[in-house]
Amino acid sequence: MIPITSTVRIRDGQGRGFWIPLFLVWLLLLPIVLLLLPLAFLACLVVRVNPFRALSVFGQIIGALRGTDIQVEDAAGSVLVHIPRSFV
Amino acid sequence: MNENRRKILEMLSAGQINADEAERLIAALEKDQPAAAAANGAEPRQKPKYVRVLVEDTGQGRSANVNVRVPMQLLRAGVRLTGLIPDHARNHVNQALREKGIPFDLNQIKPENLEEVIDQLAELTVDVTDKDAKVRVFCE
Repeated sequence: MIPITSTVRIRDGQGRGFWIPLFLVWLLLLPIVLLLLPLAFLACLVVRVNPFRALSVFGQIIGALRGTDIQVEDAAGSVLVHIPRSFV
Repeated sequence: MNENRRKILEMLSAGQINADEAERLIAALEKDQPAAAAANGAEPRQKPKYVRVLVEDTGQGRSANVNVRVPMQLLRAGVRLTGLIPDHARNHVNQALREKGIPFDLNQIKPENLEEVIDQLAELTVDVTDKDAKVRVFCE
């Protein structure tokens, strides 16, 4: 399950900022992913890796991101990436 | 011999209690002890769920903080990635590592081995303190 409700918050030094809900990013990336999927499938076959297993592991990695928090802040601004523990 | 049992025997030898009373007290003590031992044993060490990295930089008049929390689950999923490495590539990597003097075998990275590592990580704490910065890595 991909993180739908995750957010990225970016703020500059003056307190102005915005947040990006990741589901919008996924929607934008979806056509690109669909285009790249056959290429990835072929690449897997070339390097003799089971593409379905690769897809499963990739999904597990995305799923394992639950609970990730990255917060970087200094005088110039801050960046926060938050992926909640439960995907809604 | 534990402290309570010793006290009972001392009371018996001092004539404060008779043999029957001492026996009853020791029996009561033995009844309580397995429950206490079970309670102690039932307190398993909690597995760490996250790796935390905290960086505090106060050098050169600036103040910067980094706070990262990465789930252990990601580590487990990452190990499953090694299962995707084809055998011939794995052998190449092992060979290259051996040539560099690192006797490491990628085939030995298995999820069950990782669990042992994660168990031990519960007590991991890395503290690096400098006059300008402080870095702390720990599991929680």
